[in-house]
Amino acid sequence: MNNFTSQDVDLIVIGGGPAGLAAAISAKKNGAQNLIIIERNNWLGGILPQCIHDGFGLEIFHEPLTGPEYAQRYIDELKKLNIPYMLNSMALEITPDKKVFVASPEDLFCFQAKAIILAMGCRERTRGQIYIPGTRPAGVYTAGVAQNLINLKNMMVGKDVVILGSGDIGMIMARRLTLEGAKVHAIVEILSHTNGLPRNIQQCLIDYEIPLLLSHTVTEIQGINRVESIIISQVNEKLTSIKGKERKIKCDTLLLSIGLIPENDLSKTCGVKLSPVTRGAIVDENLETSVQGVFACGNVLHVHDVVDFVSLEAERAGKSASECILKEQRKEKRIHIEVGDGLSYVLPQYISRDTDLELSIRVLNPREDASIGFFDKDALLKAEKFRKVHPAQMIKIKLKKSETKNINTLRVEVLQK
Amino acid sequence: MKKEIICIVCPMGCHLNVEYAQKTVLSIGGNRCKLGLEYAEKESFNPERTLTTTVKVTNGHLPLVSVRTSKPVSKKLIFKTMALLSKVMVEAPILIGDKIVENLFDTKANIIATKNISFKKRST
Amino acid sequence: MSDKSDVLVIGAGVVGCAITRELAKFNLKTVLLEKENDVCGGVSKGNSGVLHTGLYYPKGSLKGKLCVEGRLMFPKLAKQLNVPYKLCGKHVIARTDEELKDLEGLKAVGEANGAKGLTIISGKELNKREPKVDALSALYSPVAGIMLPYLFTIALAENALSNGVKIHVETKVLNIEQVNSGYKVTTTQGVFYTDIIVNSAGLYADRISAMLGLDKYKLYPCRGEYLILDKNCGELINSMIYPVPPKIAGVLGVHLTPTIEGNVLIGPSAEFINMREDPRTTKEKIKQLMSGAKELLPSIPLNEIIYGFSAIRSKITPPEEKGSRDFIIREDIENFINLIGIESPGLTSSPAIAKMVVQMIKKRKDIKEKIDFDPTRRRTTPFRESSRSQQASLIKGDPTYGEMVCRCEHVSKREVIDALNNPFSARTISAVKYRTGAGMGRCHGGFCLPKIIEILTEEYGMLPKEIYLNNQKSPLFIGTTKELREKQKSE
Repeated sequence: MNNFTSQDVDLIVIGGGPAGLAAAISAKKNGAQNLIIIERNNWLGGILPQCIHDGFGLEIFHEPLTGPEYAQRYIDELKKLNIPYMLNSMALEITPDKKVFVASPEDLFCFQAKAIILAMGCRERTRGQIYIPGTRPAGVYTAGVAQNLINLKNMMVGKDVVILGSGDIGMIMARRLTLEGAKVHAIVEILSHTNGLPRNIQQCLIDYEIPLLLSHTVTEIQGINRVESIIISQVNEKLTSIKGKERKIKCDTLLLSIGLIPENDLSKTCGVKLSPVTRGAIVDENLETSVQGVFACGNVLHVHDVVDFVSLEAERAGKSASECILKEQRKEKRIHIEVGDGLSYVLPQYISRDTDLELSIRVLNPREDASIGFFDKDALLKAEKFRKVHPAQMIKIKLKKSETKNINTLRVEVLQK
Repeated sequence: MKKEIICIVCPMGCHLNVEYAQKTVLSIGGNRCKLGLEYAEKESFNPERTLTTTVKVTNGHLPLVSVRTSKPVSKKLIFKTMALLSKVMVEAPILIGDKIVENLFDTKANIIATKNISFKKRST
Repeated sequence: MSDKSDVLVIGAGVVGCAITRELAKFNLKTVLLEKENDVCGGVSKGNSGVLHTGLYYPKGSLKGKLCVEGRLMFPKLAKQLNVPYKLCGKHVIARTDEELKDLEGLKAVGEANGAKGLTIISGKELNKREPKVDALSALYSPVAGIMLPYLFTIALAENALSNGVKIHVETKVLNIEQVNSGYKVTTTQGVFYTDIIVNSAGLYADRISAMLGLDKYKLYPCRGEYLILDKNCGELINSMIYPVPPKIAGVLGVHLTPTIEGNVLIGPSAEFINMREDPRTTKEKIKQLMSGAKELLPSIPLNEIIYGFSAIRSKITPPEEKGSRDFIIREDIENFINLIGIESPGLTSSPAIAKMVVQMIKKRKDIKEKIDFDPTRRRTTPFRESSRSQQASLIKGDPTYGEMVCRCEHVSKREVIDALNNPFSARTISAVKYRTGAGMGRCHGGFCLPKIIEILTEEYGMLPKEIYLNNQKSPLFIGTTKELREKQKSE
C-alpha cells in the first residue's frame, strides 16, 4: 500500500521561475483549469530575485526593470489568476505515463497529469567540466552562486577577484563586486570575442575600468585552503595555452562564468529526447517534446540571453499545453529543420507547415552584415539580413504559413556573400 | 573628435560612432533606433547610469533589499552613493517602489526598493 | 588532560579509526588524536574506494595477507556499521601477448595469497560482460568490490565513539616523550599521558616516529590524481576495469572504477612530489588520465567529467626502486607501535591491520572483551535510497525530509542537519559533503551550497566569517557585503 498522496491534475508546471510563471499564466488564460506549479526554492521567480541589475522587460513591458521587479509582475498576475503553486517542493521523477513524484515538507505527492511543462531552467558549468588544474581551495565560485550569496544572503565572497568567462553573469558580477568594494583584477575570456551582450561590456567593464583579457584562460588555481593566486595564459587559435605567455595574478577569489547547461536530469526520467547541441529537449513548433503531452520552455529548452524571450516562449508552451488538455491533438507529419552552415542551432527542430512560426537561431561566430537564408532543397524561400550577428545574441525570425505551405524540406544557413 | 560607444539602452548593444566638438554632437551613426541618439548625446557629455545595488534590512525574510535609482544619475555619483548606502538600514516590511533615500545628492532621483520584503522577526 | 589512557592512537584515517574501533571492544581507555577538524581528513578520503583481492603482493607479505583477510572481514563489518559496499568484481585486462602472460602471474600471486575464484576469461567472454571493453583476455576476480572510504571511516569512528572511546579532533601532536610509566604526548590541545602509542599518522607517520628518535623511516609522497564522470555514465561498466600494472613504482595503473554512488572514477596517476601538502591536479596528469581511460574504454565520454581531485600516497619505497615495499607494522620501541607506509591496499586491509595491532597490544596488556560492546551503528536509510512509500513515511515523520537541499543527489534538509550534528562538531561544507553526498553531483554545489549556508546561519547562528569549506583556514567569505565600502569610507 502506497502512503504518498496521489492527485490528478490537468497540467503540472515544473519550475516557478520566469518560464514556469509565464507558462502557467498563459495556460490558465487559454483555458487550463486544474494546474499547479512546483518550485523547489522557497520563493517564486527562479533566478530573477538575485538578478538585481536592470535591463529586463524592454521587449515585453517596454521599460527597463530589475530582475525582482520583472518577476513580481508575473507573480502578481499569477496570484490574481489564483494559480496554485507549491514552494520548497522538488519533482524527483516523471514517469513516461506522466506521473510526477514531488517531495515537499507537506508530503510526498504523486501527481497524475494530462500535460506537463518542463521549466526547470539551467545550471552553471563548473570547474571540473573544463578541467582547470590546481588545488581545490575555498574561494572558487560559479558566478551565479556568488550572485546568490552576495545579493540574497549578504555574504561577501572575496575582495581580490578574477573572473573566468565573459558571459553576461560574469560581467554583471564584475560590476557588482566592484560596487561592493572588491577589486576585480581581470575578466579572462578564452575566445577572441566576449560571450555576453555588448551593453554589458560598456556598463559593467569599461565604466569600471575592469580589464578584459580576450584569448586568455586560467591554467592553474593555487592555494591550499583559500585561493591565493591563479595562473592565466594567453591561448592560440586552437584555444590551448601558449608557453611563456603565462602570468600569475594574486587574488583570493575566482569566479567562473563559463556557460550554462539546461537542467534536464528530470526530463530524462520520462524519456524526453534531448539535442546534443542545445542540451535541451527536441521540440516541435508547439514546444512539445518527443513525449506526447510534455512541453518544454525557457532555459531548460535552450539557454536564452534575454528573459523576455523566455517569457514569450513560455507563453507559447502554456498555450500549447492547454490545447493539449482541452482537445485531442492531431499529430501530423512534421518537417525536420536542417541546421546549415554558420549556425549552432535552430529551434524548434520540427515544424508543421500549416502555422505561422517563430524560430530561435544562434550563429556559430560573430559576423557583420550577415544574411540568414531558408531553403527547400536548393530553392531559397526567404532571406533575412542582419547588420550584426553574434553567438551571444539569439536571433528570432518569423516564418509565415504562406512561406512554408508547399515545402518538403527546410534548411537554414548563414548565406555566403 | 570621434569616439565609439556601445549603446546600453537595450540588449541590441549598437556600436555608436559619435563625432563631437566641444559641447556639441556633430553626428551620430550606428544606432538602430532613436533611443540610441538620445543615449549618445548624454553619454558624450554627462554620462548617466541607473545604479542597482542592495541595502541592509532588519527583520526581513531576507537580510537585504534590492534597490535602484529611480532615474539614471551621473556616473560620478556611483561610488559616493555606494558609500552612503553601505550605512543605510531599513526595517521590513518593504514594498517595491518604497523610497529608501529621497533626493539623492540633490539629483531629484530617489533610491527605491525593487523587491518586496516581508516581516520576519529575527532574534539578532 | 592528566587522565592517563591505556592506548593512544595518532591519526583518524581509516587505519587509525579501524584500530580505535577494534580497541573499543576491550576494557581499555582508548584515545584517538586527529590534527584535522574531522575524521578522514587526509589520505583515506582520496582513493578508488576499492576492496582488493590481493593479486599484486608477494606471498608472505603483510600486504598480501592483510588485504585478503581485510577483504573477507569487510561484509560483516559493513553490515554492522550500516555502510554500503558492492562486490562488483574486477577485470584486469590484457591487450598484448606479453600482458597475457602477466595475467597468469597475477593469478598465481593472488591464489598464493588466498584469493578465491580467480579465473582467466576470453576476450569474447569479457565482451559479453563488459560490452564497451575490448581486450585479448582478462583476469576476473569475482570478490573484488567497491565501497565509500570516507563513509566507512566516519562509521568506524562514530561506532568507536559510542562505545566509550575518546576522539579529539584539531589536536596535532607536537612532541612525544618517554616518561617513567609510558608516554607523554604534547599536542596543540594540551598534554596526554598513555601507556601505549599506536602511530597511524599516514603521511606524517615518519615524523611522529622521529619524535621518539626513530628517524630511520622516510616517506616519499606520491600524488595520485582522479577524474570523476557524471552519474549518467554509470552504465558504461559493470565491474572495475584495470590494466596489467605498469612495471614502475609499484602502482596499479590508471583504472576505471564504478562508484557506489553510480559515477565512474578514472585514475589514479602516480607522481612522486617533494611536498606532502601539494594536493594539486595538473594538466599533464589530467591528459594522461584521459588517454589512459580511452585505452581501457575507447568510447568513454570524457565530456561527462564533473570533477577532478588528487591525494597523496605515503610510500616508503624510494622512487628509484620502482617497486613497492611491504607495510611496516611493528613495535619499534616497547609500547610504541609504528604503522609506516600504509598505502594501497591499506583501505581493504584496515580491519585486518586493526586485529593485528590489537594482538600486539595483547602481549603488553592483559585485556578483556567488554560485554556491553555494541558493534552496530544505527543510520536511517538515506532519502534517495528509500522507496517512494518510505520517502512518504520519512516526510510524515519529519517534514524536513521533504525539503531537498541537494538537487543532484536528492539529499534532504534533515540529512544535512544530521550530518552537521556530527559528534566532532565539524560544521563545514566538506563535513556535509562526505556524510551526505550533497555537493558531489554534477552541479557541484551550485544549488546546495547556498542552501547549506542558509542552514548554517539559520539553524546554527553562524556568521559568514565562520563558514568554512574544510577547516578554519578555508573561509568561504570575508564577511558581509557593505563592509568593504564602509571601511573604505572611514579610511
